[in-house]
Amino acid sequence: MDATGETPRHVLTCGEVRTGLLPTRHCLDGRDAARLLALRTDEQVRVSERPNLHARSPDVLTGVDCRLPTANDAKIRAIGTVAARAVLTEGRVLQATAYFSAPAAGLDQRQPWGYYLVRPGVLVPLGRLPEQAVAAGFLARDRSAVPSGELGLGSIAEGLLGQLSRHPLLDHDVPFKSRRTRLRWAALPVQDSADASIERFTLDDDGLRTIELRLPQSTEPAAVAGLCEDLALHDWLLTTVVQKLDGIRMGAAEGAAVMNVVRPLVDHLLHLWMPSARVDRTLSPLWEVLETEPGFTRQWQTLVQRIRDQLTLQAIAAPAEASTAP
Amino acid sequence: MLVFAASDKGGTGRSVTSANLAYRRALAGDEVCYLDFDFGSPTAAAVFGIPRVLDGFGHQGLHSYLWGTTDEPARIDVWASTERKTLRNRPSGSGRLVLLPADRDGGEFVTDDESLHRCVDLFLRLNAEFDVIVVDLSAGRSYAMDMVLRATSRPELRSVPARWLIYHRWTPQHVTAAADLVSGIVKAGADMGHEEEALAGAIRFVRAAVPAVGSPLLSQVPSTTARWMRAYDEKLDVMAANRGIGKTRVLGSVPLEPVLLICEQLITDEDVNGSRIANKATWQALVELSERLTDDAYWGQP
Ligand SMILES: Nc1ncnc2c1ncn2[C@@H]1O[C@H](COP(=O)(O)OP(=O)(O)OP(=O)(O)O)[C@@H](O)[C@H]1O
Ligand SMILES: [Mg+2]
Repeated sequence: MDATGETPRHVLTCGEVRTGLLPTRHCLDGRDAARLLALRTDEQVRVSERPNLHARSPDVLTGVDCRLPTANDAKIRAIGTVAARAVLTEGRVLQATAYFSAPAAGLDQRQPWGYYLVRPGVLVPLGRLPEQAVAAGFLARDRSAVPSGELGLGSIAEGLLGQLSRHPLLDHDVPFKSRRTRLRWAALPVQDSADASIERFTLDDDGLRTIELRLPQSTEPAAVAGLCEDLALHDWLLTTVVQKLDGIRMGAAEGAAVMNVVRPLVDHLLHLWMPSARVDRTLSPLWEVLETEPGFTRQWQTLVQRIRDQLTLQAIAAPAEASTAP
Repeated sequence: MLVFAASDKGGTGRSVTSANLAYRRALAGDEVCYLDFDFGSPTAAAVFGIPRVLDGFGHQGLHSYLWGTTDEPARIDVWASTERKTLRNRPSGSGRLVLLPADRDGGEFVTDDESLHRCVDLFLRLNAEFDVIVVDLSAGRSYAMDMVLRATSRPELRSVPARWLIYHRWTPQHVTAAADLVSGIVKAGADMGHEEEALAGAIRFVRAAVPAVGSPLLSQVPSTTARWMRAYDEKLDVMAANRGIGKTRVLGSVPLEPVLLICEQLITDEDVNGSRIANKATWQALVELSERLTDDAYWGQP
């Protein structure tokens, strides 16, 4: 904080994005997507049709005064607002992100709310912010639950998903059952004008992913959220298709049972693969890193091939049924 | 699909049988979760062989979730956490089996609008993920039962299929009590906005721990007793039919099982075919029940 009351540039941006199938039978068109995501009356939903149908809600703010998680158990209090938004891709995959950014230091005392309200999506620490420790604490996977009084981005994102799920547009008659994934992310500034980089990307069986980024300090928090939504979307696609294919009983599978698993994947998911379609240009090189290792698109192509193989097998196994079908 | 397990009285076999049904559905390939809504005396975890559930977790069970003190109720993967070794090897092609335990020292509680909303959210969320969601309610009418009746009457949950299993023992008092319970459920449900016919059509009875004459367990009873039991059995049938619990509304019955008399547990294929501690008839009844549970042919008409 300087004398003029300006908040200095942020040194930390953190978020959590939750990704899942929109709980309804048919995907939504652009108009319904906009109705679903109309979280505010004073701001429009952004809908774009190309290269794919993508709708993004305006940010909604949640005021918080809480402790931040730290790797070294230092007690850091921060006050301000967390931004949350939802995006819907091809009217089919729903994501909710809660995120904030924080400056290196704030005043030692809590200010009137007006002070925080003019800084949407910013959490101002009381005193200095140990940004490394907070990033590490935030990404620590051994915390099974958020202790009370501590910032819970996950529950803000979850609350938003819950609110959207209750919308009358949705019929909850999902074309297939699937799990949600959670991606927690933290971005720290790069050292001495180095390139943006991914420091760490971890996957866990229980659907939790974490990613630690180094980004130029000028990167807008919303752009980081956009990158992480895109990563989370594609990771969810991979995870979901793998789970579905692995669920097919080896060998003993009957044709109809296999088709019941494979058909919805073809109908609802296969066309969604479009990495980096909307990622901020300055951040898209990060995608290329993931394309090399672990090789997202390569994995996806393997899965698509497995699906094609299953379809071919079924076509060979059931030529009689196929020819008598109307 | 939501499956609510209720019973006329305590100790009928509701939890043990429901847990076995959940297990059978998972073996059949369904993604299954089991919610312990028996807030007064949660026992489901023990049936799955996870006695120390929530050890070291603090308060993260369903009580805490419904109270609003945790946003993520704890989930326990039964295949991975059970202490029964034969259950550890999840067969290929089986679905997930996940337990959402109640808080250990939660106790029965009064529900309010806030917990009702959280309950709706939870059901919606689980419905996106699981094929079968078994909800173990307490015995008789309870706050939990009223809450789920209210929740399922909400427009958000209208299109999520819900089925009710009413467990009872095979005696005159239990038959009467089960019939009374169901009229109570239907009446309360109608008051909350349920369509009466639809709700009644989604309720089926399960007779638990039925001492079947001719079963190995009763092979030693004197012939006079056996004859009397057979005759009484028929009398009970008539009585049940008169109380609206006729054959069409019974999903199945589980015979009296010696193993379950002394231990609340899952009856595995190994128990029947390998160690042969459990009766084949019990196994068969559970398999049949689990198949009928998701077979539309057995549901619909009140
Ligand atoms: N088919 C059966 N044969 C013999 N005993 C059984 C059978 N089913 C259940 N039992 C036994 O009956 C007792 C009560 O069963 P259970 O705990 O499932 O009842 P409950 O209805 O859930 O009771 P509560 O209302 O106390 O929760 C247990 O000891 C259980 O093992
Ligand atoms: Mg019980």
